[in-house]
Amino acid sequence: MALSVVKNLARSLAVLLVVTFATFTLMFGNGPGIAQAVLGLNARPEDVQREVVALGLDQPLLVQYWHWLSGAVTGNLGESFYTGQSVTEALSSRVPVTLALVVITLVLTVVLSVLLGVTAAVKGGWVDRLLQFVSVLGTAVPAFIVAIVLVFTFAVAWRMFPATGYVTPELSISGWVKSVTLPVVALLVGAVASAAAQFRTAVLDTLGRDYVRTLRARGISERHVIFRHVLRNSAGPGLTVLSLTTLGLLGGAVFIEQVFALPGMGQLANQSAQVNDVPMVMGTVLVTIVIVLVVNFLGDLTTILLNPKARTR
Amino acid sequence: MRRNKPALIASISALALLLAGCTGQSATGAGSGGGATKDTLTLAMNADIQGWDPSNQPGYQGWPGEAVWDQLVKCNEFGKAEPDIADKWSISQDSKTLTAHIREGQKFSDGTPVDSAAVAATFEYMTSHGGSSGDYKGIKIETPDAQDIAITWPAPEPLIIAKACAPKITTKALLDSGKINDTPIGSGPYVLDAGATTRGSVYTFTKNPNHWNAASYPYQKLVVKVIESETAAVSALKTGQIDGTLISAQSYNEVQASGKQITTMHGVTTRLLLTDHLGKKIPALGSLDIRRAINMVFDKQTMVKSLYQGHGEPAVQIFRKGSDAYVDGMSDPYPYNVDAAKALMAKAGYANGFTVELPTMAGQNFETLMPYVSQQLGLLNIKVKQVPLSGANAIGDLLSGTYPVVLWQLGNLGESLKDIDVAVRPTGYWNLSHQPDATVEGLWKKIAGTSDVAERKAAQQEINKYIVDQAWFAPMVDPDGFYAHSADVKIDHVSDFEGLAPKLRDFK
Repeated sequence: MALSVVKNLARSLAVLLVVTFATFTLMFGNGPGIAQAVLGLNARPEDVQREVVALGLDQPLLVQYWHWLSGAVTGNLGESFYTGQSVTEALSSRVPVTLALVVITLVLTVVLSVLLGVTAAVKGGWVDRLLQFVSVLGTAVPAFIVAIVLVFTFAVAWRMFPATGYVTPELSISGWVKSVTLPVVALLVGAVASAAAQFRTAVLDTLGRDYVRTLRARGISERHVIFRHVLRNSAGPGLTVLSLTTLGLLGGAVFIEQVFALPGMGQLANQSAQVNDVPMVMGTVLVTIVIVLVVNFLGDLTTILLNPKARTR
Repeated sequence: MRRNKPALIASISALALLLAGCTGQSATGAGSGGGATKDTLTLAMNADIQGWDPSNQPGYQGWPGEAVWDQLVKCNEFGKAEPDIADKWSISQDSKTLTAHIREGQKFSDGTPVDSAAVAATFEYMTSHGGSSGDYKGIKIETPDAQDIAITWPAPEPLIIAKACAPKITTKALLDSGKINDTPIGSGPYVLDAGATTRGSVYTFTKNPNHWNAASYPYQKLVVKVIESETAAVSALKTGQIDGTLISAQSYNEVQASGKQITTMHGVTTRLLLTDHLGKKIPALGSLDIRRAINMVFDKQTMVKSLYQGHGEPAVQIFRKGSDAYVDGMSDPYPYNVDAAKALMAKAGYANGFTVELPTMAGQNFETLMPYVSQQLGLLNIKVKQVPLSGANAIGDLLSGTYPVVLWQLGNLGESLKDIDVAVRPTGYWNLSHQPDATVEGLWKKIAGTSDVAERKAAQQEINKYIVDQAWFAPMVDPDGFYAHSADVKIDHVSDFEGLAPKLRDFK
């Protein structure tokens, strides 16, 4: 098991280096364009050239990447080309916003999708058909459409929640809950729809196994069979789905943060990518990769813990 | 089969936690829905500011900068000087030197006095920082005492007032500290409340009671929120989270139906820039007949009605009504007439047309304009090839001269001298082909060589008539711009010489 963990970590580090270098390469070569955008339309060519040098964009690709990487290792991710704000400072205020959305949505997704998936698989009949219909509908409707409908209904028409903005929990717990409710629900619809369908399939598959029939034949209660055996053995596919859901939620947050004007990482990534703000883009990419790798790592680790067969691979 | 009670209870608990917010207390402070009150003005801006470097502040939606900094003098909607840090000023006969007296008793937010040394340091800083350093190249500054300053440009400078209006005055100590981007120091009507500010998201300011013109800024607190999405900003306005936001024509009816107020502005002219007057890149454009034919193929009335839903006016000239260069009562020399346009094309030897590349960028209403413009040019057999520009290089590519014809909703400035400088003179960055023209340069020298207001105005109008006659542009529509705001906020007047958004002092 220790070997599996070490292998996982080594693989994660390699992925991190490859993705950050690829991102840096894609943004390389725009020095004068970036400098012109920083200075504005009025800037003279000599001002643009001065800014290219000041931003270090006149350096070769490998030198620029090395500067960034060596800074990143020590926690210095540089400063925004446009605002001069420290990337670390910007991320420290924005990552919690995005993580709050993703973590709350994920927890609710686990609870609701297991509940709905198991209910549909066990009950069958119209309950199952209804879940499948709702699942297809929920998966098909993009999160930002759900978000807009929620805003018009619960914020503009009924004034139950704020239409935009984010309140930190330190400032007001109830304000924080209000500010994340609609964004979380917007993300939740698609996530639950997708995960519940996957859990249903996994549970149905497990329920058809011989050992389940044997357990039932031994007179073990259905509740015990479901919670101690079926759920545990359905967890593998379920965890994979949840890993993918987490990554999907990170992507969905980019749009949701726009609709609700939330100062999260997705909004920062979107703003920065539009203007080739290299340090900010690299900062958001780095944090995103780390989150993805941690989620995958935890998913693998949980699978190993739940499934003895996985430990021998 | 029994219900799965634990999971059900967990789910209900989670939902209850979320819904608990419905009955919670209303939030206050940073990021909360502040809304319209008598003492707080909450505005949305659709893009963040570029930090706190005074040399790099936007004019468009520049409320944070207007809050914390004063200028030596302020420019009004036509670029004329009004008092600010300076209470008196004059311009030398040769248009080279601005002499100003700084009013006594003003203080920066760090408590140091506003004096000529600070003004001099800021202007010096502008010579080597930001994108407008060329405007201050070679200036000489004299400070005979703490309240008086003279700034001299190396050559006659027709735009001396516009250039005096731009620098945001701060302290020499801050400029020398290397920490220019951390916290702004200014003598403006508000002071940044760093504790209630989250960069990139919400900026909070408290009123500076000692400001020389505090009465013009009635709000005790100013909150500026970054809301990129217009849909989100409109929702925030309708629910009272903000007091004002810029909107497009698409949101006009929705905002009006919600009972909010809308202030109309006229800051742009939709036009084709036909900058290759000598036909170096596109030989056909060297022909005056071709440029005139292009002007005659657009039905401006229909454009206003169909493309702008009636929100605008047909445009004949590129300058703003009321500005010095604007010629009152000028009739359209190129009325809509496709047959006459075709005849001009044939006369110039281009009956079979030619091809032009038109660059496109996000945010210029191209999705609405381009189909019509392409179709109309197609009537003259002029084939349009669209070239999408994006990313950081887009602006550089656009201004590089690669595309001598551009369709753009370009600003028409209240200070028409500035318009001439950037869009008509060969050195202007919007004169994309930068081709010399003796008539324009001769008239510009005439403007630079006199301080007589009437002579300057007459010369500007001559330039206007000349470029209309020479069809350097194909002006189509002066579309309306909209600022939506709550009824509690009064905006009687927009003093922005760009005409794109109210200035902070316009919110009453």
